[in-house]
Order: sequence, then structure tokens, then C-alpha cells
Amino acid sequence: MSTVGTMKDRVAEPMKIMRRGRAALKTSLAVSALAFLASCARDAPQDTWQPAGPNAEQIDNLQRPVFYVAGVVGVIVFVAIGWAIWRYRDRGQAIPEQTHGKPVVEIVLTVIPALILLGVAIPTAGTIFKLAKTSDTEMTINVTGQQWWWEYDYPAVGSNEEQYGITAPIVTSGQLVIPENTKVLLRVTSRDVIHSYWIPKLNGKKDSVPGRVHLLRLEGAKPGIYAGQCTEFCGLSHSYMRMEAVVLSRADYDAWVANQLEAYTSPAAGTLAAEGEGVFIQQCSRCHQVNGLLNADGTPIISAPDQYIVSGVAPNLTNLMTRNTFAGASWDLLTPECREDVWKSDSVTFGAKYLKGVTTDCLNQKDLREWLRNAPLKKPMYANPENLAATGGKYRGMPALGLTEDQINSIVAYLLERK
Amino acid sequence: MITTSSKLFYGLGTLSFVGALVWVVAHDGSSLGSVALIFLAISLLFLGGIASYVRDGHVLSTDTAAHPSAPAAQSASGNSWWPLASALSLGMVVVGLISSPGIFKIGIALSIAMFGEWMITNWSDRASANAAYNEKVRGWVVHPLEIPIGGALLMTVIVLSFSRIMLSVSTVAGPLIFAVVGTVVLAGGSLVSVRRGVSKRLVGGACAVALVALTGVGLATALNGERHELVEASEYDHYAVHPCGEEAEEYDEEASRAVSAKSSIAATVIFKDGELYAEMDGFSEPLTSISLQRSYDLTILFRNESVGEHRMILNYGNVIEDLGGGVTRDSKLQACTALIGEGGQQAITVRIPKPSFASPLSPYNIVVSGIEDSSIEVSVP
Repeated sequence: MSTVGTMKDRVAEPMKIMRRGRAALKTSLAVSALAFLASCARDAPQDTWQPAGPNAEQIDNLQRPVFYVAGVVGVIVFVAIGWAIWRYRDRGQAIPEQTHGKPVVEIVLTVIPALILLGVAIPTAGTIFKLAKTSDTEMTINVTGQQWWWEYDYPAVGSNEEQYGITAPIVTSGQLVIPENTKVLLRVTSRDVIHSYWIPKLNGKKDSVPGRVHLLRLEGAKPGIYAGQCTEFCGLSHSYMRMEAVVLSRADYDAWVANQLEAYTSPAAGTLAAEGEGVFIQQCSRCHQVNGLLNADGTPIISAPDQYIVSGVAPNLTNLMTRNTFAGASWDLLTPECREDVWKSDSVTFGAKYLKGVTTDCLNQKDLREWLRNAPLKKPMYANPENLAATGGKYRGMPALGLTEDQINSIVAYLLERK
Repeated sequence: MITTSSKLFYGLGTLSFVGALVWVVAHDGSSLGSVALIFLAISLLFLGGIASYVRDGHVLSTDTAAHPSAPAAQSASGNSWWPLASALSLGMVVVGLISSPGIFKIGIALSIAMFGEWMITNWSDRASANAAYNEKVRGWVVHPLEIPIGGALLMTVIVLSFSRIMLSVSTVAGPLIFAVVGTVVLAGGSLVSVRRGVSKRLVGGACAVALVALTGVGLATALNGERHELVEASEYDHYAVHPCGEEAEEYDEEASRAVSAKSSIAATVIFKDGELYAEMDGFSEPLTSISLQRSYDLTILFRNESVGEHRMILNYGNVIEDLGGGVTRDSKLQACTALIGEGGQQAITVRIPKPSFASPLSPYNIVVSGIEDSSIEVSVP
């Protein structure tokens, strides 16, 4: 009996192993198929494989051949490992002769990877140098990260002033607006912790480090909006720290600059927006600057975010409704339909649609109102006043202001005029 | 079944759970420490469970007559240094309580480590009748901790000693020492790698001698203090912004080296042939108008390339202080370098809280004291 049992076991064991092997193979194939299907996204605004400017194209020209070579090497290695595992699996056979050292094999297996790496290193170094070039800069913009949004300021100096008509500094946030086919140099830094700036379709990443200014070239080949996201974990709302680069034709860009430099006009007296201006001055202007806003005595209202916020700044809202996003580009100011109309428009009609800004019909009332009601509920920002001892009472973002619905209505009406 | 070794884990696990509860109560509901302690407790209880399940390695721990190799049948633990080390650590805790929080924290960490080592040694001494196997068992448990921590401590000693030496020697000798030490290490390493016959003892001995020498010199230089320029810079509070007009000697012409090693220069301001201009990354041409960011720690480097001593002054508006009783004081906001001789340079770090349009009557600019007709316009958006 025991002999029969042993025989059965000997036959059953390999069968069991084969069944397990098939199950593992099926599972692997299913997971691989799912992973492959996941890569077939139709709407992928941060796809690194779709360059939309010469800098991103240089990266693409480098990464594609490297990816293919690495892919082939990877397949060869995995197939070889798989074959070795299968071919030499333990079937109770004697352990083969153990040898040490095969100089020819070792040299070949060292030289081939070295040659492949050398083949990758040469074009990589060339691309790095090309991407680091700054002598051909046509426009310079300061990009400053802070928890959890990006500020852009366009200095009114040098070629910015002489060639692009930026006669006074322009400060904006959420959306970086640049002219097409222009070599823009970003001076990237941070006010608090390390962030990383990345618009995948326009160039690679650049860390923004407090106390350091890093240079990043950016150039868009055709009008459109290009999405990006902070790529260095920077705290609680890191995933809400997004950005968009807007590329406009030169004529549209000139119009955008002219609009940004226009003098402030107060809402017509007696309107809801005029009421909102008063509420804004009381509640919002402590942190948010609106250039041109005046006190009753005619002096300019200067925000003092340095007294309330750890990073010392809050977004400048002078021309809020010329942007399509708010709160670190985490939410759209446009309704989904209007947003799609702008994003999906062709490069010829894009500029006109973008420059329209946010109209009453297109305003994303829901998210904006939710934000005004209780911003920290929408975007976590350590805003609980009881937990601010470590920051000396300063917030890391916008606190809940306890606005009434009437106040919110009036502020929304006022902000709608900030174009 | 509660075996000899599982008692330790169960006991510690229970203690951790109690500790988690105490933490929550003591820290007003804070969950961070309690989560760590609960995870520790779960891990320890899991280990206890394993010890119970395998009955301390299939040995009936209590039946010493039938199983003379059971842990309980083994002799008591041998001599150990851990009790002494634990006592010293506890002494450090007491000293730290009186003198310094740093010593207290180190004492706590050392106490935990020493008690842990003591317990594990005690346990492993009784793991079997085979002393060599017991030593191996102990190694399985503690080596994954001892080796990296020991390595980190060794690195700390080396880095601290070396840094003390480098901070004490002159700026001329520093690079030379660095180059010589680096060359000796590289040459020694290369020699050992190509000569297969070199005994491990010899290499180990040489490394030990080098470590002792390095630590000794490092300790001596630490006691002796840093080089005088650093002491002076520290006393002068080099990185602080000083009120303008207060005369001070330029104590370290190459201070910018230290600054630039830590941060980028937002703008380099150059005073040459009576003219003032700025250079900034991203701008190829000299600038007489610059834009600086608001609420940002800006480092501005002033370089004097003119004859004589000059001081750079950054004017960034004014501040009105309420002195009470309806009295206010309007003060200029300025940041200045010391008087810089020809060829010298100094960096200052300043944070500008308000935009330049906040002070229409006091424009933001950079000037050199005594030079009226040359300035750099500063815009802060």
C-alpha cells in the first residue's frame, strides 16, 4: 500500500506543480493585460509621450530609443530568467558541476551593458546640455512654489519690457501664460518646502528649492493648455498643487498682457459686485492683493499675507477671472462644458476662447462657492486654529472665514468682474 | 502554550498596549505615538504567538528531566557587560534630566538599546545547550540592528571628527588636508584591493589606528575651537542685517563663499567705475532695474570693484510703528552691507514683506552710500 501511495504521489506532484504554474501564468497574463489597457487612456493631459514643444521633443527623442532598447533588454533578461527557472527547476536531479569563473562570458556580459550604457550616455549628456542652455532666452518669468500653489511673476525688465510690452510687473497664479514659439526661461524657487515644477508636454521637471533659483526652459509650439502637477511631495495637499501652462499666439499674448496691465475699475455703485468689493476689502484683502483697490482715504490697499500665512503670500486676485482655475489650479473656474470647449478647441480658435475669461454663464459656481464657504474642507490646509501653535498662529492656506451666503453672493459677483 | 521565550514577547506586547493607552491619555488624544506603540504591541504579540506555536523550537521547555537540551534545563546566563552598560545609560538619563535635554534623549535611546541587548543575550544564552548555536541565534536577532546602527555611529564619529578638524584649520590648509587624506584613503584602498595577500588583521588594525587618530585629533580640535574667522563671524552675527550707518570692519572678504554654498544669489550688485548695476541668473545683460520676489529670503551679493570702501544699501520702503497715545514712528526699511574695500564682496539676506507699489513715496532701490547719481531700481510685485 505504501509503495502504491508513493507512486501515486510521484505522479500527482508534477501535475499539481503544472496546474499551479498554469494558474500563475494566467494571473500574470491577466495583470499584464490590465496594465497594458490602463496605458491606453484617451484623455491624458500629462502624457510625456506627447511632446508639444521643442524642449519636450528633445526629451522625447532621447527617451523613445532608450525605452525601446531598455524594453528589448528587459524582455531578453526576463525570458532568459524564465527559461532558466523552468528548464533547470528542481526535479530531483543531481546538482550539476559547480564551476567558478568564465572569463569570456564575464567580459562579454560586462562589455555589452557598458556599450549600451555608453550609447545612452552620449545623447543623454547632449540633451542635458541643450536643455540647460539659457543664452537664447526671449522671456523670463519667476515661478515660486509654496504650499500648495504656484505664483508667476513677470518682471518688467529686459526683453520682457522691450519686446513683450510688460511695462509693469504682472503677478498671477495657477496658469502660466506664455507666447507660442518663444524661448521662455523660468526662474524656479520656493518659499517654504521643496516642490517640483513639471509640465510634461513642454519640458522635464525642475525642483523648486527654498533659497535657490533653478532655471527651466519652456516653449510651446502651438496654442493650447498644457497640464502639470507638483512632483515633489510637499505636504498635506501636495496632490492639489497643480498648474497649467497656457500657450497663446503672439497677438493673443499681447492682448493678454494689455489686459493684465489695465487699471483697476471699481464695480458700478449700487450693484451686488460693489457690495462684494466692500466684503472683499473687509475679509479677503488682508491676504489677497488686488492691484488698484483703494482705501476710503484713497491710499492703496496692500495685503499683508506675511502676517497670516506661513509662506508670506496669497494668490494675487487682480485678474482672477482671466484664469480658468483657482486654489492651486485644483478646481476649474469654468463649468465642465465651457472648460471642454476651451481645452478641446483648435489652435486657431483657442486664443479667443481663452481670452474671453470666465463669463457669468460659464462660472463654476458650485466649486467656487464651496471654496468660499469652507476652503479647508475642500483642500486640507492645516487650517484648524487650535493646531497653529507650531506656526505661530499662521495658516498654510486659506482658513474658513465663516462668510454668510449673502456675503458669498456678493464676493462671487465682485470676483466675476476681476478680468 | 506559554513558553519561556513567548513570555518575554507577551509581556512586552502587553506593556506596549498599556503604553499606548497612557500615551493617548497623557497627550490629550494625540494618536501618533499610540499608533506606533500599538503596532509595536501587535508585532510583539505576533512574535510571542510564533514562539508559542513552535514551542520554542519544538523543545518542551519545562520538562527538563526528559529534555536536558530544553532552554529551562540550561545553566543560567554567563557574564555579560550589558547590565553595566544599562546602568551607565540610566545614569546618563539622570544626568540629562538635570543638565540637558539632549543628554537625556541620548540616555533614553541608549537605555532602550542596552536593555534590549541584555534581554536578547539572556534569552539566547538559554536557547539551547550549544553555546555556538546560541551565539548564532543572538546574531540573527540583533545583527540586523547592531550592524547598521554601529555603522551609522562609526560614520557619525568619523564625520564629526573630520568636520571639527576642517573647521579649526585655516582655509588654505583645509583643502590640502582634504586632498592628502583623500589620496591616502584612495591609495590605501587600491593597494589592498590589488594585493590579495594582505591580511585582514593588518587592514583592520590600520583602520583602527586611523580611527583612533582621527577621533583623537577631532576631539582635540573641538576643544581648541574653530578658526578665528568663524568665531568672529559668529560673534558679529554675520548673516543678520545690520542697521545702516553702523560702521563695522569687513571681517571676511570671502564670506560669499559660505553663503553661496548654501543658497543661490538672487542678484549680484556690482559697483564699478562709479556705476551700479546688477547681474541675475536668466538675464544675460547688466541690469539697472531688477525684480525681486516678495516674502522670500533673498541673498544679494555686493561686489565693490571701485577704488575705496563702499557700502551697499537696499531701501525697501518704510514701516509705521504705533507707539501708543496716537503717536506713530515712520522708519525706513533698509539692509546694508559693511564697508567693503576694493575687490571685496559681501552677501546680505533680506526678506521684503510688501510690494514696491506699497511705498510710492519711498521707492525701492539699491544705492551705494555717498554716491548720488547711480542706483538700481527695485520692483517687488
